[in-house]
Amino acid sequence: MTEKKKDFDIVSKKKIFIAIPLVLLAVTLLVGIIFGAEISIEFKGGTILTYSHSGDVDIEQVSAEINALNYGVATVTSGEAFGSDLRLINVSFSTSEGLAQEEQETVTATLLEKFPENNIELESNKNVSASTGLRFFLKCLVAFVFSFILFIIYIAIRFKKLGGWSTGVFALLGLSVDVLAVVATFMFFRLPIDSIFMAVVLTIMGYSINNTLIIYDRIRENKSLHGTKLNSRELLNKSVRQSLSRAVNTTVSTAAALVVLSIVAVIFGVSTILNFAFPMLVGMLFGVFTSLCLSGTFWVMWQEHKNKGKRKA
Amino acid sequence: MKSVKKPVFFVVVALILGLTYLTLFGVYTQYGDIETTIIRGVKDIRWGIDIRGGVDVIFTSPEGYSATRTEMDAARSIIETRMVTRNITDYEIYVDYSTERIIVRFPWQSGDESFDPEQAVNELGETAMLTFREGAPWDAEDYEDLPIVITGADVERASPNYNPDTREYQVSLELKDSGKEAFADATGRLAGTGVPISIWLDDYCFSYPMVNERISDGSASISGNFTVEEVQSLANRINGGALPFRLEIDSFSRISPTLGMSALDAMVIAGVIAFAVIAIFMISRYRLLGVIATFGLLGQAMGTLAVITGFFPGTDSFTLTIPGIAGIILSVGMGVDANVITSERIKEELRIGKTLDGSLQAGYKRAFSVIFDCNITLLIISFVLMGAFGTPDSFAAKVLTPIFFMFGPGAAGAIYSFGFTLTVGAILNFIFGVFASRLMTYSISKFKPMRKTKLYARGVE
Repeated sequence: MTEKKKDFDIVSKKKIFIAIPLVLLAVTLLVGIIFGAEISIEFKGGTILTYSHSGDVDIEQVSAEINALNYGVATVTSGEAFGSDLRLINVSFSTSEGLAQEEQETVTATLLEKFPENNIELESNKNVSASTGLRFFLKCLVAFVFSFILFIIYIAIRFKKLGGWSTGVFALLGLSVDVLAVVATFMFFRLPIDSIFMAVVLTIMGYSINNTLIIYDRIRENKSLHGTKLNSRELLNKSVRQSLSRAVNTTVSTAAALVVLSIVAVIFGVSTILNFAFPMLVGMLFGVFTSLCLSGTFWVMWQEHKNKGKRKA
Repeated sequence: MKSVKKPVFFVVVALILGLTYLTLFGVYTQYGDIETTIIRGVKDIRWGIDIRGGVDVIFTSPEGYSATRTEMDAARSIIETRMVTRNITDYEIYVDYSTERIIVRFPWQSGDESFDPEQAVNELGETAMLTFREGAPWDAEDYEDLPIVITGADVERASPNYNPDTREYQVSLELKDSGKEAFADATGRLAGTGVPISIWLDDYCFSYPMVNERISDGSASISGNFTVEEVQSLANRINGGALPFRLEIDSFSRISPTLGMSALDAMVIAGVIAFAVIAIFMISRYRLLGVIATFGLLGQAMGTLAVITGFFPGTDSFTLTIPGIAGIILSVGMGVDANVITSERIKEELRIGKTLDGSLQAGYKRAFSVIFDCNITLLIISFVLMGAFGTPDSFAAKVLTPIFFMFGPGAAGAIYSFGFTLTVGAILNFIFGVFASRLMTYSISKFKPMRKTKLYARGVE
């Protein structure tokens, strides 16, 4: 009975599907050029100010007051020295040139004004280089390029029936679109680019690979089942319909877990967890679109392009 | 697989529940006031600075010593390696070149007795310069006046082992070509003269063995009434390399979690609720297969936690940070996916009218190829990440040396911990998502009341 269900023709909407990531790319670049990204102190370097104080100070409030000054992302932590009962507040700013002297004075003045009873005193100020610098990014780049080469080789061997190399390249293209969605989310919502960002990007890559391989696996199976009876377009449409309920069910359950995490984070007032859960949710939902609408479409377009070439020759 | 017996289901479930209990609560024996850990529970997890706070140390170069930019960078990369060798994968290191300060932050919770931050900080700051010197410690007023034979830089690799002849734990050294020659020369010259070669780590002398014969094969060893832990830590320190200068502690303080005080509580509660939501969803969609999936996912989540705690006291434990949690979310997500794919396949097979046994077998068989491909690709990627950002003497790092040689050794904890949890997740996915769930399904389907197809898929009679 299910066999009679009409397949939705995915490739016919290819213009819209391909336009979506291109528009997203353009907007992200534009936002990036105009507003820049909020790069954290880990990657950019900056200034760390340490204050001592007496009594209790609400760290969340300190954080709010200092971030209101708009000197870049400021992370505030509390501390106490080992071996003495000195209580401390650490404020880290990410700026590549370090925080100017007047700005540092403004921060100190603000704290003195808002917390007059806590005997706040500046203990030290340090201009630091990035914790993970340029060399780290180059190494990341090489690591990714190398693992992508291995990835393409593996796909080429396992999916020989679908054209091997090209399949691997399209899977990678789909993956880049998902990563773009994550980058765009961080840019649009002014979230800091830090190790959380790296973690989200890596996770979404993992999900994206899963999603794409599932579609390709279906095409592979249908191809050996139906042979040459179906052309590549029909193969794709059939495969997408068959994978639809898997995509929906997997995404609903994993996305539900992230929604739970976000809600709990808001209730507990740990809004930083949202920096992690929200972009991951966006990337995951976008991954459904990429795997169902894009990965296969690329493959069909390539197959049809190749056939056209053959006929001409 | 056809011969799976009925009781197998209960055995697998019992094993998973047993693993869950042990992972969550651990096993401890109490003898008087001394608590001994037999299996580590969740309370022994080391959390990252982002989740539970840690220690902030500021190191400075010694008084009167002017460190160059290159030396500061070298010092930083050695500290990084020392951190990752200690399985502290979540740290931040900032360098202030103008004032010659290195700020190191790493996780630690007050009350954690398995880890002594002061000792760790002292070890991070020590030069850890290994030297073999001519003469006994009393031959010169200052040990630095004894002529150097070889240093840690001449050592290719140090490894801890047990010497059955002396019945002692020792560190064996494999020397580089540069060291081989110098060592052969010195041992040749000193053999039989009664002048010993003394072995030093900074200003501490381990031993001063007599030289009996010329040693030209480039092997040497360090002994000195060591325990297993001591030889392991010494080998790590030698492999980690020496700092260009001694780092002095400028200040040492405790810091609160960067994510906010209640990050941990929020994570734990969210984890429990999220698991329940996934379980309810899976059971409502896939009924009996959903129940089996829930057990499989429980096993997978607990297995990952067990690897992070180290499970047995002797094995290394891991610091759990946000990137590590991302790795767990991804691996549990993959587990959910494996179960969804299989259950959907079984449903399809039932719908085209196959028998229950036939559908179950075909479903698992067909789903396997794609689950296999997904897991292997993720393993490939996490292997590369671990090789690039792990400790230089790990297996993955050695295999990948030709690719990353130009960057020199260097460790990045966040990516390493992601790669690590993901590797564990992918392997556990084969064990729980594929193997255990297949065993459970086959055996439960042998029970008469469990043979109705509607228990396996909605809308199939």
